[in-house]
Amino acid sequence: MGEARHRSAGAPRGWYAGLAQDRRFRLLRTRFYRLAIGIVASFLGWYFLYIWLSAFAREFMARPVVGNINVALLLGVLQFVSTFALAWRYSRYARRMLDPLSEQLREEAAAMEAEREHAERLAAERQRIESWAPPRRNAAHRRTREGRS
Amino acid sequence: MGPALTFTLFILFIAITLVITFWARANTRGTDDYYAGGRAFSGAQNGLALAGDYMSAASFLGIAGIIALSGYDGFLYSIGFLVAWLLTLLLVELMRNAGRFTMADVLSYRVRRQPRVRTAAVASTVTVSVFYLLAQMVGAGALVSLLLGVSTDTAKIVTIVAVGAMMIVYVMFGGMKATTWVQIIKAVLLMGGTTVLTVMVLSRFGFNLSDMLGAAARNSGHAGFLQPGGRFGKEVAGDPLRTLVNKLDFISLALALVLGTAGLPHIVSRFFTVPDARAARTSVNWAIGLVGVFYLMTLALGFGATALVGQDAIAAQDPAGNAAALQLARALGGDVLLAFIGAVAFATILAVVSGLVLASSTSLAHDYFGHVLMFGRPRESQEVAVARFSSCVIGLLAIGLAVIARHQNVAFLVALAFAMAASANLPAIVLSLFWRRFNSSGVVAGIYGGLGASVLLVVLSPVVSGKVDPVSGRSLSLLPAGVNFHVFPLENPGLVSIPFGFLCAVLGTLLSDEKVDPERYQELSVRSLTGTGSHRAPARRSRRRRRDGGKKTATGLRHPEGTQTDTPQGDSP
Repeated sequence: MGEARHRSAGAPRGWYAGLAQDRRFRLLRTRFYRLAIGIVASFLGWYFLYIWLSAFAREFMARPVVGNINVALLLGVLQFVSTFALAWRYSRYARRMLDPLSEQLREEAAAMEAEREHAERLAAERQRIESWAPPRRNAAHRRTREGRS
Repeated sequence: MGPALTFTLFILFIAITLVITFWARANTRGTDDYYAGGRAFSGAQNGLALAGDYMSAASFLGIAGIIALSGYDGFLYSIGFLVAWLLTLLLVELMRNAGRFTMADVLSYRVRRQPRVRTAAVASTVTVSVFYLLAQMVGAGALVSLLLGVSTDTAKIVTIVAVGAMMIVYVMFGGMKATTWVQIIKAVLLMGGTTVLTVMVLSRFGFNLSDMLGAAARNSGHAGFLQPGGRFGKEVAGDPLRTLVNKLDFISLALALVLGTAGLPHIVSRFFTVPDARAARTSVNWAIGLVGVFYLMTLALGFGATALVGQDAIAAQDPAGNAAALQLARALGGDVLLAFIGAVAFATILAVVSGLVLASSTSLAHDYFGHVLMFGRPRESQEVAVARFSSCVIGLLAIGLAVIARHQNVAFLVALAFAMAASANLPAIVLSLFWRRFNSSGVVAGIYGGLGASVLLVVLSPVVSGKVDPVSGRSLSLLPAGVNFHVFPLENPGLVSIPFGFLCAVLGTLLSDEKVDPERYQELSVRSLTGTGSHRAPARRSRRRRRDGGKKTATGLRHPEGTQTDTPQGDSP
């Protein structure tokens, strides 16, 4: 129901499959996957390394670094720093390498969509004109309804 | 003077937010307005609101208290809560592009049997929200006794009912617009209050972090106060098995914290309040900045409280340490600062519960009523009416449950909500977006499997029964001492339930003979990555023109769901 059932109202079959085969889209997808996997691997790996150290390497974590600041605190704050850095890196990469591609594809798709809709409207109008028949007296009410739609 | 000032400040907060609510009521027309605030919030505004939704009283008061009493380990919570946002950052644009109002929109996009998927998503959204709500509302009841010094039963009940009533008013009348502004104001207040406290704490120690830590460690009297191990993963001498279980429990908690955030319903529903995916990314970046700075400051709050107030005084006021931040405020700035921080704490609770009620009522109205009962074609006005009604029902339910559970220590429900979000929602979201073969049986199996496993494991864990204080013999579980049916050793189910949720989703897919439409997956992946055909904010037109000329969005017309998803409606600027 809902969205899945009503696709026929919008894009025709094959429309998105065509877009999915577009070289630029595949490049976009590869870039995103590579970036996402890199980021997930680095932050999860680093986070669980830190958690593992907190659970199993407590002598190491307790070592003082400067004054009362020990390794545990330093690594904890580094988790914040790495989070900010990864977020910044993702956003920069997305802005430079993903956004231009997706914008291009989106605009092209919108233009094609508009063209298609325009062609459909023309065809519908043509159909209406061609199937027009001279008014019959007993069909007056039907004619007015058609005229309004 | 303190309580009176708190009360005045809080009333001021309520007055301002009520004005906003009535403004929002007058400007809320269709589902886009009610569920997504007209998709008109900027990245920065939505980022503040995300942070406001996320920074609950549990993190403000709770983490400060854990650091104050158990030392370093409270900071582990802070780190998990922050790091989780990276996962959210990776998913937010895809979900914003593919979905309309809720997580279920994303999950049901490419599958055949939509009603089953929608129903499962509603079940998990409402369950997670209600558990989280319950924790917050019971916390509100506990807070009033800390602030006003009255620990009578009536005071608790009155507070819970008052907070609940306000939350219903915001959500019912103001929808997403009012709720977002409540979050924004709350986030500004909370960040402001925390910054003031942090600067004042650090100024006591000449802005030397090391000196503050030293004073806290000296004052605590523990040798390992600044090291991990004070609370999580405790080492029990002579019992290696117990030690291992404790450490696994800690890892389990860490897993749930880092994977849960991206599946929390009130966070997900906020992805859709911005005009497009780029604004959604900006808003998550804002949230990461704000949440990060906030959780760094919890260090100063917690250790500062130990150094300046002392653990005995903190534990005397509240054994769980929830009063630490408030006591610190009094020690630093007297009754005035205490009153301000108290009002901020109330605003925090109120904002978070509103976000939760909105998310679950959105899910009930849009997914269950709109798509399951009405086959995706309700009238927009009907759907909004149902959303308003269900927010009232969920609000009343939460009030009732919180009044019943007001004496219980329900702090574990927050961690449970994260575990449920990670085990039920995350597998479904991730596999929907990235796995070609995933189908509706997989979504349904993953959601119910993850949800069921996490709830069942908590019921069978020491949280509910069988944990006894070895010294006093008092029960540390939910049920009284003597009742013991705990089988599962860990208090946090995540370590088992999250892989189990993924496993159920995968097996459910592979074991069903349901066919998938490959083109539907291609469509989802094109749309989620490029934003083609996503639901955008209406182009900048005046409201009146939109109402007159907007054939598709005017309330009262048939809900053009199908055309809306497939052709960009009123969005190409």
